[in-house]
Amino acid sequence: MAKDLLYYLIFPGFLFTALVGAIFSWIDRKVTAWVQFRKGPPFLQPFYDFFKLLLVKETILPARGSKMTFLFAPLLGLTGAALASMLILLPAIGTKPGFNGDIIVIFYILTIPSLTYIIGALAAGNPLASVGASREMKLIISYELTFLLILAAIIMKAGMTITIHEILAVQTDEGAFIGSISGILLFIAFVFCIQAKLGLVPFDMAEAETEINHGSFIEYSGQAYALIRLTRYMMLFILPAFLCTVLLGGLRTDGIHLLWTVLKTLGILLVLTLIRNTNPRVRIDQAMRFFFIWMNLLVIAAIILDYFNL
Amino acid sequence: MEDNLTSITLGHALLFTVIIPAIAGLVLFALPKKSNRIKDILTIAITVLSCFAAFKLYASVQQAVLVGYCSIILQPFKAWFQIPAECAQYLTLNVDAMARLIILLVAGFSLLISIYATGYHHAEKKPKHFHSLLLLTLAASSAAIFADNLMVLIVFWGFLGFTLYAMLSPDDEQSSAAAKKTLILIGASDGLMILGIAIIGKIAGTFSMALLDLSTTNALTVIAFLCLAIGAFTKAGAFPFHTWIPDYTQTATAPASAYLPAALDKLLGIYFLTRICHDVFQISGGIRLTILCLGALTIIIAVMMALIQHNYKRLLGYHAVSQVGYMITGIGLGSVLGIAGGLFHMINNAVYKSGLFLAAGCVKSATGKDDLEELGGLSKAMPVTFICSLIFALSISGVPPLNGFASKWMIYQGIIDLGKGTGPENHLWMVWLAMAVIGSALTLASFVKFISGIFLGRQKPALGTIQEVNPLMWAPMLLLALICIGFGTFATNWVIPSMLEPITGNIHYSGLWNSSLITLLIGISLLLGILFYVIATSGKLRVAESFIGGETNRDETGFEPVSFYETIRNSLLFKPFYAWAEKKYFDVYELSKKLVLDVSDLFSKAHTGILSNLAFWVLAGLIFMFLFLLL
Repeated sequence: MAKDLLYYLIFPGFLFTALVGAIFSWIDRKVTAWVQFRKGPPFLQPFYDFFKLLLVKETILPARGSKMTFLFAPLLGLTGAALASMLILLPAIGTKPGFNGDIIVIFYILTIPSLTYIIGALAAGNPLASVGASREMKLIISYELTFLLILAAIIMKAGMTITIHEILAVQTDEGAFIGSISGILLFIAFVFCIQAKLGLVPFDMAEAETEINHGSFIEYSGQAYALIRLTRYMMLFILPAFLCTVLLGGLRTDGIHLLWTVLKTLGILLVLTLIRNTNPRVRIDQAMRFFFIWMNLLVIAAIILDYFNL
Repeated sequence: MEDNLTSITLGHALLFTVIIPAIAGLVLFALPKKSNRIKDILTIAITVLSCFAAFKLYASVQQAVLVGYCSIILQPFKAWFQIPAECAQYLTLNVDAMARLIILLVAGFSLLISIYATGYHHAEKKPKHFHSLLLLTLAASSAAIFADNLMVLIVFWGFLGFTLYAMLSPDDEQSSAAAKKTLILIGASDGLMILGIAIIGKIAGTFSMALLDLSTTNALTVIAFLCLAIGAFTKAGAFPFHTWIPDYTQTATAPASAYLPAALDKLLGIYFLTRICHDVFQISGGIRLTILCLGALTIIIAVMMALIQHNYKRLLGYHAVSQVGYMITGIGLGSVLGIAGGLFHMINNAVYKSGLFLAAGCVKSATGKDDLEELGGLSKAMPVTFICSLIFALSISGVPPLNGFASKWMIYQGIIDLGKGTGPENHLWMVWLAMAVIGSALTLASFVKFISGIFLGRQKPALGTIQEVNPLMWAPMLLLALICIGFGTFATNWVIPSMLEPITGNIHYSGLWNSSLITLLIGISLLLGILFYVIATSGKLRVAESFIGGETNRDETGFEPVSFYETIRNSLLFKPFYAWAEKKYFDVYELSKKLVLDVSDLFSKAHTGILSNLAFWVLAGLIFMFLFLLL
């Protein structure tokens, strides 16, 4: 029990993921700066941002909103991110095989942060936040089917098992799932799902700074916004880690494998960053079409290829 | 000795869940309208007793029993009565683990609804004879569940069609149309079921569910199965026989919606479906495929319709349909995990769906408004209703760690296990899984609309004086919300082992889910979070007007949640389907109505009202009959 709490709060749950996520966010910003021929922020910038919001800024509540719900939503979002990190990382790094949640549970828990953004935005009582929330919800509907089909294909590749450590065991025996044509297609679709889940360009229509002033988050400030920032740092690390776990053979931390793990997650982060820096924002209906038709077709193609063991 | 004790408990259960409610229901019809307070108290007292008796039956009887009514009830009068041997088969009780559980749930919901109705009916116009109908419904559904004989079951179950109709108490054109539609669809399903039962009687020579074990290999058995399945589908509300539910919930009062379509119809329909799929018939792969198809279609079609509704009671009605899809899918899987998941989902759905209807009733009685467009920002005025609705909404959308997630998780695992087999229905496992999961995402989407449309956002100026409803109304709702949390938290380590494993046998999970630990962690995080807010924001909270891009922030400025999903409605992919649905091309009732009217139109062309024409037809008919009899 005390040990589980430690897993949850310190390693590999909340604190560890938050730290790594903050570093990931710095890398993301640094690479973005390089793409744009700028110098980029110092290493500690994400921490400065977070602690400024936490310690210096005041929290302003929207006059016409539901204030308690507005404040509670970010808490639940952070909880969801911390739970997801614990459920994914504990079996993935091999600390505790088969811990308390399978791939379906993780699928559902990974939706919680986005859901709380929506509830928080709707509680704000600001029309621009409502626009953001509506777009976020439609985005969830769009990518959720693709994401599920990817996981179903992985379940099929792993011989109908749904726990992470069994999926990892299959990959250890037979090589990572990405080493096949179907695996590569799944990887591509997964990367786009992450992009949408994180709300990065081209799927950042829910916050669209230039258009609806950060949409879902427009009313958030101070401590409540600090929690949202933290949640987003964490998700930036958890989702690539999840991708590594289910497609790229896991996150082993012993000896030289640690280096591979770091390189794999950073590689995925680099892909995400480059996509977000080289694309324009799409409209919500375009995003829906992109996932409903093209990404689903891609995953179905991968599933069909998988039937022929390609 | 133990047998004696069992039969005493059973006798009490029969007395308090069937006989006394039936008598009291009839007596209450006679009481004058003024004695409402007496009716309230009497109804609650009787439902408390029946709850207690049902609980005692549930807790104390351990094995499945098959006994005669006569040996229990008529024990003291044995000397006076002599039951003929032919009648004995109609007077047999089947009290296995599933029946006991469903009886307990029926009695429990009757109690909660009767308490709620006490508060509700003082707030709003009273449906005629609600108390009598509630008690009669309780009696008839308990009797239907106790019955082992299919004929007895259909007689009592058919009676529910009447109470369902009467509870609507139609008073305008819309509600009379809904009531008529309900009565016709339910009545037609009863007719089909009687046909199915007759076929069974012909094939097997018995109506006892415990003795029947038919395999669906020949056409006649398949027809019998389909007749009974259509009956269960219509009453529980599965595609394509679901169309009465949204109409009903839109016009009925909240207690009626929460009691029958949300709770009891599901309990009975899924109970019966489980019985016919696993006790009465051994179903083949083809039928399994059909059931799974219908389950998946029910989930998707109903939830897509829910997405675009403006009337929140109708929205809930479509969800009452959509959730049936999960149960049917679970039952149709046929594995232990699937059946347990389906039954667990049935229980969970009854809890949160009747909770949602009760919440809708609270909103309706506090505001008098039916449309999401006219509501908004009630979270502060009605905090208990808001928190309960939020819990129900998260639960129905399958957000962990609530109960809706636990049962969906079991069904998903059942589907994945199905994928290990080799039949056509096994190869399509990914389709069932995808439909079920996307259905749950769409449910979430439409409940975002429900919650934010009623409780979040800015408060409408017209709703400034709204107050929370009275405790008689919110207490049952709060209890249901606590059950949602409790069943979710202790799903895998207490609820499933103690409630479902006696019915289905031991369950082997292929996945992992420890809901208690996760709930504990969530609780700890929320406590830490509150502590964090208290420390970090000490004295620094400020309230300010929102910035909306430089525009003036007026009362009517807003982006209504009602219009959230217009993008989906207008997308190329779905636009034609919505258009067809609005023309009621998918409504069995409307289609058959059109067919019947067209055919009768054809015949009415022959009857122009001219006497000589009429005389000709009469003569032609007589000649035809004469020839027929002669040959």
